[in-house]
Amino acid sequence: MSDEKKKTIGQVLVGTWNTQTIVAIGIGAALFGVLMNYGGIPIFTNTRLTTAQLVPVFVGALFGPLPAFVASTVGNIIADLIGGWGYWFDWSIGNGVLAFFVGLLPVYGADIKNGIFTATQAIIYAVIALVGNAIAFGVVTPVLTVLFYGGELNITFAQSLFGGLANVLVLVVLGIPILFLLASRYAKGTNLKEEE
Amino acid sequence: MNNRLLINMIPGDTFLHKLSGTTKVRLFVILMVYLIMSFDLRLLVPLFIICLIGLFSLKPNWRILKPFFVIVLLMNLLNIVLFWVADPAVGEQWVGRTRTILFSVTPRLFISRETLWYLAVRIFKMYTSFLVSLVFILSIVPSELAAGLYSMGVPYKICSVFSLAFRYIPDIGRDFQNIKISMQARGVEMDSRRISLMKRLKQTTLILVPLIITSFDRIGTISNAMDLRGYGRLKKRSYYSEHEPTRSDKVFFWLTLALGLFCLYWVIVRNVLIPGHQMWYPYA
Repeated sequence: MSDEKKKTIGQVLVGTWNTQTIVAIGIGAALFGVLMNYGGIPIFTNTRLTTAQLVPVFVGALFGPLPAFVASTVGNIIADLIGGWGYWFDWSIGNGVLAFFVGLLPVYGADIKNGIFTATQAIIYAVIALVGNAIAFGVVTPVLTVLFYGGELNITFAQSLFGGLANVLVLVVLGIPILFLLASRYAKGTNLKEEE
Repeated sequence: MNNRLLINMIPGDTFLHKLSGTTKVRLFVILMVYLIMSFDLRLLVPLFIICLIGLFSLKPNWRILKPFFVIVLLMNLLNIVLFWVADPAVGEQWVGRTRTILFSVTPRLFISRETLWYLAVRIFKMYTSFLVSLVFILSIVPSELAAGLYSMGVPYKICSVFSLAFRYIPDIGRDFQNIKISMQARGVEMDSRRISLMKRLKQTTLILVPLIITSFDRIGTISNAMDLRGYGRLKKRSYYSEHEPTRSDKVFFWLTLALGLFCLYWVIVRNVLIPGHQMWYPYA
């Protein structure tokens, strides 16, 4: 793996769209949809403390930001479909944007597949989780709410605040240990050498 | 969380099942726009009735559906109450700036006729959209969903994401059950009658982490199987589940088109040209 060509930032952002990535996004989206419905507790109107937010951590760590974006967006659409609380595309895209930020892991050098995840990267990850939530639910979702639904801004901002805090909690408290766990799981396989 | 979570794998044999994937997906997309665009009870009631008829025509297994109806109703009721607590005057901006207080708990927490109307319409709208989703999910199989999206010009890799996700949902339910049973076999008490709610919640979380990890471990197997069948080699693809449009498909095409034009008209005239919130309110 070490002799792999260095990728440009653009390639890291887009990710490689092979069959493996598509399957990962599909499974991620299904998990997101189901966990959004059954894997959390409601804390405010249509807002949950949900383990679904772990999905972009996995997809992002292994496949990069854009796959994480698609997984979360499709996942949220599926969640709306089976949830019966109406269709909220502003939130689907908001969650996608958050997933994009969470999935930036490979950009700042965290290489989970080769077992690289340091304490500094964990701190960067936590900061990005916070900033990502602020941008996704403080800017993107409200703008789309006005655009698509023409209002309910008061409620959207309240939801953003509660939902964002819940997401940060899940992403940091559960996400960081999982990333370390994943990195150490993959690290076991890195000292092997291919025989000629 | 069991019972395949509503997803069908085998096409059924009722009228709605037999429509092509393209027809189903197009109609569903237009219905989503229809549902989102208004809070007008006069638009929602007909759709609600049509959906009920559609649901009965699918001959679903009601025993499986019952818990879903209850959960959705309870969750929407909780949402409505929280909406009201967050802003008791939420209905006023929708139905005109009047305030007819029916009942006051405290000076801040009051129930006005406007808010009551708005929240009632809202819960009805959410329930209608749940019915639409239900009819859609019950009438379609994952491959038809992908075919329908593909016919609308969505890149087929994204279509595959949708169909894979739909196909994988029942597996999540099965994995959840398996992990739960194996945890019980190791002596973790999960019977809801024996332990407190908080403890059960914590143990459910303990199931979720292995659930996510096993799911992602399966990526290699699935993608290898797909690669071996030549997935993703060509720029285009066709779908085995998709059939030539039948007569009912053609009828539905014109119905969908008419509905789409109506939605376009409504969005432009009622939503874009007249800014601000509005809804049909008979007491104004």
